[in-house]
Amino acid sequence: MLRFENIVKAFTQGETKTYALKGVSGSIQRGETVALCGPSGSGKSTLLNICGLLDNDYEGELFFDDEKVTGGINAATKMRRERIGFIFQRYNLIEAMTAFDNVEYPLLLTNENKSDRKEKVLSILKQVGLAGHEYKRPDQLSGGQQQRVAVARALVKKPDLVIADEPTANLDTETATVIIDLMRELGASIQTTFLVATHDSRMTERCHRTLNLQDGMLFDEVVGSVEEPQTKTLAKGAKHAEHQVSMV
Amino acid sequence: MQSIKLAWYNILRNRRRSLFTILITVVATLVLLASGGFGLYMYQGLEEESARDTGNLIITRTGYFETEEDYPLQHGLSGFKEIQQHYLKDEQVKAVLPNVDFQGLISNGEKTAIFMGKGVEHGEFLAKGPFINFIEGHALSAEVEASADPEILLGKGLAKNLKVSVGDIVTLLSTTTDNVMNAMDFKVKGVFSTGIPELEKRMIYTDLNSAQILLDSDRVSSIAIHLFDIDNTSAKLDEVQSQYSELEVTPWWERAFYYRDVKNLFDLIFALLGIVISLIVFLAISNTMGMTIMERTREIGTLAAMGTYRYEITRNFTLEGLMIGLIGTVTGIALTLALIGFLNVANIEMPPPPGSTQGFPIAINFSLGLTLFSSILLMTICAMAAWFAARSGARKPIVEALSYV
Repeated sequence: MLRFENIVKAFTQGETKTYALKGVSGSIQRGETVALCGPSGSGKSTLLNICGLLDNDYEGELFFDDEKVTGGINAATKMRRERIGFIFQRYNLIEAMTAFDNVEYPLLLTNENKSDRKEKVLSILKQVGLAGHEYKRPDQLSGGQQQRVAVARALVKKPDLVIADEPTANLDTETATVIIDLMRELGASIQTTFLVATHDSRMTERCHRTLNLQDGMLFDEVVGSVEEPQTKTLAKGAKHAEHQVSMV
Repeated sequence: MQSIKLAWYNILRNRRRSLFTILITVVATLVLLASGGFGLYMYQGLEEESARDTGNLIITRTGYFETEEDYPLQHGLSGFKEIQQHYLKDEQVKAVLPNVDFQGLISNGEKTAIFMGKGVEHGEFLAKGPFINFIEGHALSAEVEASADPEILLGKGLAKNLKVSVGDIVTLLSTTTDNVMNAMDFKVKGVFSTGIPELEKRMIYTDLNSAQILLDSDRVSSIAIHLFDIDNTSAKLDEVQSQYSELEVTPWWERAFYYRDVKNLFDLIFALLGIVISLIVFLAISNTMGMTIMERTREIGTLAAMGTYRYEITRNFTLEGLMIGLIGTVTGIALTLALIGFLNVANIEMPPPPGSTQGFPIAINFSLGLTLFSSILLMTICAMAAWFAARSGARKPIVEALSYV
C-alpha cells in the first residue's frame, strides 16, 4: 500500500547540513499497523511527515498503491484530503468546533452530502464512545475524549492510511489502552493502514510490525508482539548512503 | 455555510479581541457616515442657497458673464416681460425674477461710498424667502406712490459707514446707458445683513423700475428662473435653452463659485479623512488577525494536514474579517441613524463659519449611496487585512505549523 525508497531528508542551518533520514526504504501492506520507534532525533516524525505527504522536501521516492507520488503541494493536499487521516499527540482539534463539527470536517472536504455526513459522524462518535458528547467543544472534553474525537475524525472518511504521531503520549495508561484498542478495531473494520510513531510499548505490542529508527536509518524490525518478537537487524553503525535498507 | 459558522465561532472565541476590532469598525463607520452626512447636509444647504441667490436658471444675452460692458446694460435683455409671462405659467416654476446689476456711488450728502446695486422686483423677497436678514426696517414695498421717493435697502456695513438709518434719504449716482451721469434720491426702507461683512459694506437693493430709470434703460441684466424643486434644474435647463436658443441659459452651479470652492475643499478633507480611517482600520484588523493567526498556527497546520487547500484556509480567515466588518458597519449605521435622530431633536447650532455672522444648525444627511460606499469600503478593508494576515499563516510549511507552540 505504502512504499518509500531511499528517503533522504536533510536540514540545512547556515553551512551545516544535518541528515534526519539517511536513505530509508520500506513498505507497508494494506490493513497493516506499523509502529515507528526510536529515540528522539532518530527521524521517526520526519519519516511520518513524509509518508503523510506533509513534507515534500526530500530525496527519494514514495509510492501509494505502487503509484509514485508526484505533483506539487495541491496534489499532495488532494491526496491527504481523500486518502489520509491524521491523529496527533496533542489531539489538534479545532477549538471553535464541536466534537460533531470536528469529525464532520474531513467529510465536508470530500463533498459528502449532509445527511450522509450526519449519519457517518454520529455513527463513528457512538463507536468511539462519545454518544451524548457530540455537541461539546474540545475544552468541555477530557484528554481521552478529545483523542477519541481525533480518532473518529481520522477514520470517518475511511482513509487508506492513518498517520498517528505519538497518539497516546498525553494520555494516562487506561485511556491510552482504550485509544489503542479503538484505533485497532475501527481500523481493522475498514482495512485502514496505520503508521504510528510511538514510544509506547502498549502501542507497539498491538502493532503488526515495529520499525526501529536510529540516527536517521532503519535499525531493526520487530515482527509480531513483544511476547514473541522476531527481530531482524537491518542496519547498524552504517554510514549514510551505504545503508539503504530494503524491507520489501 | 460551514465556513460562515466556523468564522462566527472563531469570532466568539476571543470575544474581547473581536469586540475591540468590531468597535474600531463601528467608530470608523460612524465617523465616515457622520462626517460624510454632515458634508452632504452642508452641500445641500449651499446648493439651495446658491440656487436661491442666483435662481436655478439665469437667462442672459450670450456671453454676458464673459464680456465686460462698456456702459451699463450694454449686454442687457430687452422684452423680459414676454419671457417672464411665458415661464410663470409653468407649474415647476416658482418665480421669474428679472434684475438689474449696477454700480456707482452712494452719498448721504456729506459722505460718499461705492455701492454694488441690484434692482429687483418686489417678488424677489417673496420668492427667495429669508435670504437677507433685516436688522432694521422692512423689504421693499410692492408699490410706491408716484410722488414718493423710491425705496432702497442698504447693507449693514454701508448704512453704518454712511450713518443712515430707516427713513433717511440717500443719493445714488451712476452712469446711464448713454454714458451720462445720473443721480436719484432714495429713501432707506431697510438695513440688512447677509452674513458676509464684505458684502454688507457695498450691497444695496432697490426696485427694478427705479434702477432702470437711474440707468435710463428698459433692459434688465438677467432673468432668474426659480424652480420649486432644485432637482428639476437640468431638465428645465435643456427646455429653456431650446426655447430661447439665441439667449444663454446658465444653471446655478456655474455661478456658484463659493459653493464650488467649499465643496472642493470639503471633498478633499473627506477624502483624506476616509484614507486615514481606512488605514487605521486596515492596521487594526491586520494586527488583530495577525495575532489570531499566530495563536492558531497549529490549527492552520491541522486544517492543512487534513487536506484543506491554502486558499480555503485563507478564505476562512478572510470570511472572519468580512464578518467583523459586517457587524461593525451594521452597528455603525445604526449608531449613525441614532445620531441623526438625536441631532434632529437636539437642534444644536454650529458657530458662524469664517466670513459669516450667522451660525447654522448641525444636521447629518443620511445617504444610501454613501452608506453603501462606506460599508463596502470598510468590509473590503477588513477582508483584505484578514487576507493579508492569513496568507502568511497559510503559506507556513505544515510540519512547522503543526509543531508551533
